Amino acid sequence: MTGVTLTSVDKVFGSAKIIDNVSMDIAKGEFAVFVGPSGCGKSTLLRMIAGLEETSAGTVEIESRDVTQVEPAQREVAMVFQSYALYPHLSVFDNMAFSLRLAKTPKQQITAQVNEAARILKIEEQLDKKPSKLSGGQRQRVAIGRAIVRQPKVFLFDEPLSNLDAELRVQMRLELSQLHRQLGSTMIYVTHDQVEAMTLADKIFVLRGGVVQQSGTPLALYDDPDNQFVAGFIGSPAMNFLTATISAVTREGVVASIEGSGGQTLEATLRDTSLDIGQNVVLGIRPEHLHIREEGFSATVEMTENLGGVAYLHSRLAGGQKIVIERRGERQAYQCESISVWADAKHVLVFDQGGQRLR
Amino acid sequence: MRVQRVTNPGWKAVTHAAKPRGTKIGTRNVENTMLLVITLTAAVIWIFPLYWAFVTSIRSEGHVVSEAAGLLPDMFSLAAYSDALFNSNLLTWYVNSIGTSVIITVLVLISGMMCAYALSQMRFAGRRVLYAVVLASFMIPSQALVVTQFVLMSDLGLVNTWAGIILPQLIVPVVIIVYKQFFDAVPKEMREAVLLDGGGEYTLLFKVYLPLNWGITSALAIITFIMAWNQFFWPFLVITSENMMTIPVGITQVRDTFGVNYARVMAVALLGAAPVAIAYLIFQKKVTEAVMISSGVKG
Repeated sequence: MTGVTLTSVDKVFGSAKIIDNVSMDIAKGEFAVFVGPSGCGKSTLLRMIAGLEETSAGTVEIESRDVTQVEPAQREVAMVFQSYALYPHLSVFDNMAFSLRLAKTPKQQITAQVNEAARILKIEEQLDKKPSKLSGGQRQRVAIGRAIVRQPKVFLFDEPLSNLDAELRVQMRLELSQLHRQLGSTMIYVTHDQVEAMTLADKIFVLRGGVVQQSGTPLALYDDPDNQFVAGFIGSPAMNFLTATISAVTREGVVASIEGSGGQTLEATLRDTSLDIGQNVVLGIRPEHLHIREEGFSATVEMTENLGGVAYLHSRLAGGQKIVIERRGERQAYQCESISVWADAKHVLVFDQGGQRLR
Repeated sequence: MRVQRVTNPGWKAVTHAAKPRGTKIGTRNVENTMLLVITLTAAVIWIFPLYWAFVTSIRSEGHVVSEAAGLLPDMFSLAAYSDALFNSNLLTWYVNSIGTSVIITVLVLISGMMCAYALSQMRFAGRRVLYAVVLASFMIPSQALVVTQFVLMSDLGLVNTWAGIILPQLIVPVVIIVYKQFFDAVPKEMREAVLLDGGGEYTLLFKVYLPLNWGITSALAIITFIMAWNQFFWPFLVITSENMMTIPVGITQVRDTFGVNYARVMAVALLGAAPVAIAYLIFQKKVTEAVMISSGVKG
C-alpha cells in the first residue's frame, strides 16, 4: 500500500522553478529520506507534502487520498521542525496535548495519549517542565512526542538533528530508527547529511536543483549510482573522480588512460562496449577500493589522516588530480612517498562527460 | 583545573602588589561621592514641587499665601483632603478617570494587537500600504486634529459623554508598531506548527502569539493607562459638565466663592495622581520596559 505519492509535482516561486516535475512513491511504513545539498529543494518538497507550501502543479496523495488542495491540519501529517518549534509558554504536557485539545479530544484520552508518547520517548519525568528547562535532546523528544500523539499517517522531519551536538545526534539517530520500527509509520526525513540518510533510510531520494537524481535503498545508491552527482554525494570520504580517455575496448569493458599521468591506465568493467577509443570519460573509484599494489598507477601521498582503525591517504597523481585512498588495519603514513595504486576493474565506475553513468 | 586553582591566588596577589591599591580605590571613592552628590541634588530638585504640593495641602490657607511661609508647614491639617473628598466631585471624577482609562486601555490593546497581527502575519493586498498609513499617522500631532474631532463628536452628540472622551484616544499607532515588531520576531515554524496542529488565526493570536508576548502586553497596558489617566487637553475640551470630568480636568474646578483654595487644589492634585503613582510603584519594572520599547531602545 502506498504511503505518499507525488505525481509530476512542481513548485514555482516567481520565475524560479524550485521543484521540477518530481514524481515518487513512498510505501506505507517506509522510512524515506530526502537528501541533497542546501538549496536543492528537499525542504520545499517536504513542506509541500505537509501543505505548508502550495503545489504549483501535480498532485500529492497520502494513502491514496488526493490532498493537494487540503489544509495542513486535515492531511493527517505531523511535522518535526529543525528549531523544534515548541510553544515556550506551555509545559511539555501542554505542548504535546495542544493539537488534541484543538481537536476537542476528551480529557482522559488526551492524558492517555500524551502519557503513552512520553513513555515511548522516555520523557515522563519532564511533563511538567517548560521547554526552556530542557536540554536539546529532550526538546527534540518533546517535538517528536507532539507529532506522535496526533497518530498521523505520515511523520515529516525537517533536519531535526541539525541543532544537536555530534554525540547526541548519533544517539537520536538510533532512537529515531528504533521509533520507526516501533511505530511502523510512514516517515519522511530531510537532511543534508548523507550519513544520516544512509543510516536511517529504507529509501533515499537524492535531490539536486529541484530534480530527483536517483532513488533507492542506501546501498543501491552507494554501489550503483546513476550519475556522478549521486556517486559523489553518497559516501564519506567522497568517491574519487579521475578524468581519463578510452585507450582500448575489451570484451569485459574498457581500458582508460588517466589524464596527465603519462599513459598510465586503469581498467573498468562495462557491459556497454560501444565506446569510442579517444572518448573522454570520468572514472569513479571509492577510497576503499583503491589498493597499494605494484602494477597500478603512481601517486604521491601529500597528507595522511590516521584515525586508528582506518587511515586516509590524501594523494596527488602526476597530472595533478587528487585521490583519497582508504587503508584499514595498516598505519604506515607513506608521508611524501610515491606509491603505486590499483583498483579492481569491477569497482571502477565510468561516467560520460555530462556526468551520466555508463554501465 | 586543579593546577589553575592553586596558581590563581598567587596571580591575584601579584597583580594587587603591582598596582598601588590605595590610589585607585581613593579615586573611585571621590568619583562615587561626586556622583552621589549630583544625583541627590537632581533628586531633591525633582521632588521639591511634590514636597511643596504636599506641604501646601496640609498648611492653613492663610499660611499658604503668607510671605513668611517657610519650607516646613505651620501645622498638620488634613482639612483640605477631607474637603476635597467630601465637598467636591472628586469621587465622581475618580470614577470617570478610572472608567475611561480602563476602557481606553482595553480597546487600544485589543484593536492594536489585532491590527498588528494582521499586518505581521496575514498576507493580503494593501498590507504594506496599510502599515505605511499607520506609520504616517505617527507624524500627525493630535492637537492638529482637535478641531475636527470636536466637530465630529459634537455632530455625533457625544460631547459630555464617556464615549466623547474615549473615541479620539483610541488611535495609538505605537501600540500597533510595537506589537507588530514582537509578532514579526516569533519564528515562522511556530506558526506552521500551529497550522499543522489544526489551529487557525484565532488560536494563533490568542493561544500562541499573545501568551508569548504577555510581557509586552502588560507593559503596553500600563503605559496606555497612564497616558489615558494623565490626558488633560482633550477631556478639557469635550467635557463641560462637572459630573463628567476626569481628575486632571476636575482639578481646574477646585475653587470656592473666594477664589482659588491652594490647599484644596494641591490635595486634589495629589489624590488624583495617587492611583497612577501607586500603579507605577507596583509595576515600576514593566513601565520602564514599556517606555524603552516604545521609544525603540529595546526590542
